[in-house]
Amino acid sequence: MEVPLTLAATARSWDEQHLDLDAAAGQVEGAPTGGFTSGVSGAAARFAAAWARHTTELGTTAEARADGLRTSAADFSATDGGVAALLTTTAMGEVR
Amino acid sequence: MTGAVVTLPPQPRPVPELTADPGGIRAYAADLLAASAQVDDLGSFVAGGARIPAWSGAAATAYHDAIAPTGRRADAMSLALRGVARRVDQHADTIQELLERRRTLDEERAALVDTIAGLQQRIGTASADEAAALQAESDDCTRRVRGYETELDRWVTDLMAEEEAMRAAFDRVLTLEQVEQRYAGVPDPADEALDAMPGAGAPPADVAAWWEGLTPEQQEAIIAASPGAIGNRDGIPPWARDAANTVALDRDLADWGHLEDLGVLTDDERAWLDNARAAQAAIDEIEGRLDPQTEASVPAQLYVYDPAAFDGDGAVAVAAGDLDTAEHIAVTVPGFGTDGQSADYQANRAGDLYEATRSVDGAGSVATMFWIGYDAPDNLPWEGEGWDGAGVAGESMAAAGGERLADLLDGLRASRDGEPAHLTAIGHSYGSTTTGLAAHDHGIPVDDLVFVGSPGVGGGTDHVSDTGVDPDHVWAGANSRDPIADLGNHGWFHLESGLDGAGLGDDPAEDDFGAIRFQAESTDRPDHLDFGQHSLYFDHDTESLHNISHIVAGEYGEVLLADPVTDPWYAGPQDPEWGRDPGAPDTLDEM
Repeated sequence: MEVPLTLAATARSWDEQHLDLDAAAGQVEGAPTGGFTSGVSGAAARFAAAWARHTTELGTTAEARADGLRTSAADFSATDGGVAALLTTTAMGEVR
Repeated sequence: MTGAVVTLPPQPRPVPELTADPGGIRAYAADLLAASAQVDDLGSFVAGGARIPAWSGAAATAYHDAIAPTGRRADAMSLALRGVARRVDQHADTIQELLERRRTLDEERAALVDTIAGLQQRIGTASADEAAALQAESDDCTRRVRGYETELDRWVTDLMAEEEAMRAAFDRVLTLEQVEQRYAGVPDPADEALDAMPGAGAPPADVAAWWEGLTPEQQEAIIAASPGAIGNRDGIPPWARDAANTVALDRDLADWGHLEDLGVLTDDERAWLDNARAAQAAIDEIEGRLDPQTEASVPAQLYVYDPAAFDGDGAVAVAAGDLDTAEHIAVTVPGFGTDGQSADYQANRAGDLYEATRSVDGAGSVATMFWIGYDAPDNLPWEGEGWDGAGVAGESMAAAGGERLADLLDGLRASRDGEPAHLTAIGHSYGSTTTGLAAHDHGIPVDDLVFVGSPGVGGGTDHVSDTGVDPDHVWAGANSRDPIADLGNHGWFHLESGLDGAGLGDDPAEDDFGAIRFQAESTDRPDHLDFGQHSLYFDHDTESLHNISHIVAGEYGEVLLADPVTDPWYAGPQDPEWGRDPGAPDTLDEM
């Protein structure tokens, strides 16, 4: 019973990472380029756009890890049955 | 008559425009740095919390095999993003320097144009006899023009080189393939340094020694990757605490702002986000002011930042001025009703004190910091919220706060090399109880100790000598109409403290206590006690701010003194300030 609950808890932590990385991606995307000279602002904007994508992708990977763990926890519980399944189902929902 | 024939100097070329904002560039760098800290968190998570040792079998192996590359990528991305952020910060410094050089060149050109115009005018009316002297002047000017042109060429070259270098830094890690090539498997300089960090409870001096022993690269790495490890650690120098706390604040604003946008913010996170926004508002409040001496924007330092402290009340301290270098430092300790949400209000007071102190004739560099670093009573008695809620009538919160304040002041002292600052602690309201207990229970390394609007300075401190501070440098300001300042114990019998902590200790403005009392009346005081008078001590053009700012600046001779409160056995407390006509000294116009 301990393992599926741990899987569910870890999935939630991956969810948190996903949310935080989405926020970080937004922060990079919104980084102001108006302070740079015209000779640099284009490169700064391009960099920010590229890194917003990289960070979003990292967040998407985190989300996939969370989903994968939830699937594993569900499989685990299905074979374990009974109380473990009930507890795991309760703990398995996405954080938000 | 034949006129003078003189060869004029060439006209100097104008300086090209340079449109850039170093502050805006630094804001870009701050966003990258905060994001890098978030990415770094993922790397740490994969190495720790994401691993599930109790899970075995094929699925477990597949999972652990799959997350390892994610962790490595996050580590590499964090290092890459951090490196670019650091380079952007350097770029801001270089652009700042180029803007200053441009201003100098522009002034030199204007002077040369004027000189040439003057020569031209004089040559038009000069005789042949004057030609040689005018030619010598013209030749001298020509040499200056050549020197200017050389500097101008150098400036243009430096600008182009810097722009090229900045673009190259962006291009070097634009793709993930470039990131992997450059940073995969590279150890984070922060890791080894953090392993050697003194443990919790270590003296600030040990923490300061550890920090000074790190390389600049390690220091920058810790600021970016683990801002929480040093942001509130006593002994770390203010500039580093500010840098780390700024990373943490930027990250929090982005994280919780994102959750707010998604509509999934929890109640706790709502409180933390509000505290983070209040901290940002406090910084903006200070940076929005102009220094009275230089008219430049007042720098702010985020010295303490913990939006979740004290069950969500939050802890924050922001300084106006540079705590690393200021000759005079003041730390204000607020009281009743103070929490993280009060940061903006307290920043306004710190800003007023900064302006007033910088306006003192002969004052050097100054930093004034408000400190919301202890769990202060939540209630405001003068708004009908009672006297005893949240333990107001007792000293327990002040005692806990006093210990924290003593640590903070020790840390400020330990983190500075060279000539120590002239340090003043100012306790206002319940904050004076906290400050008094810090002095009595722990000893505080201050040069001056100021109590204003004090309801008592803590049990056990019956006399100025109990504070451990030179009695000639312990001060008290009490508005005669302030009901809070009237709450302290009076007379020879310390009744309230005698009742096992039911009161908050002695009135520091009374003669028995022995502090130096200064004038602190306001011109709009009524003829009765009035809670509004309790909040005026830091307002511009008041006796109180005039006197506090002179104490902070060490200009003691200009402090306007007042006779202390007395409490004869045959009558109640007598305040000689009650009948005096108050003044309104200009706290911004001394220079």
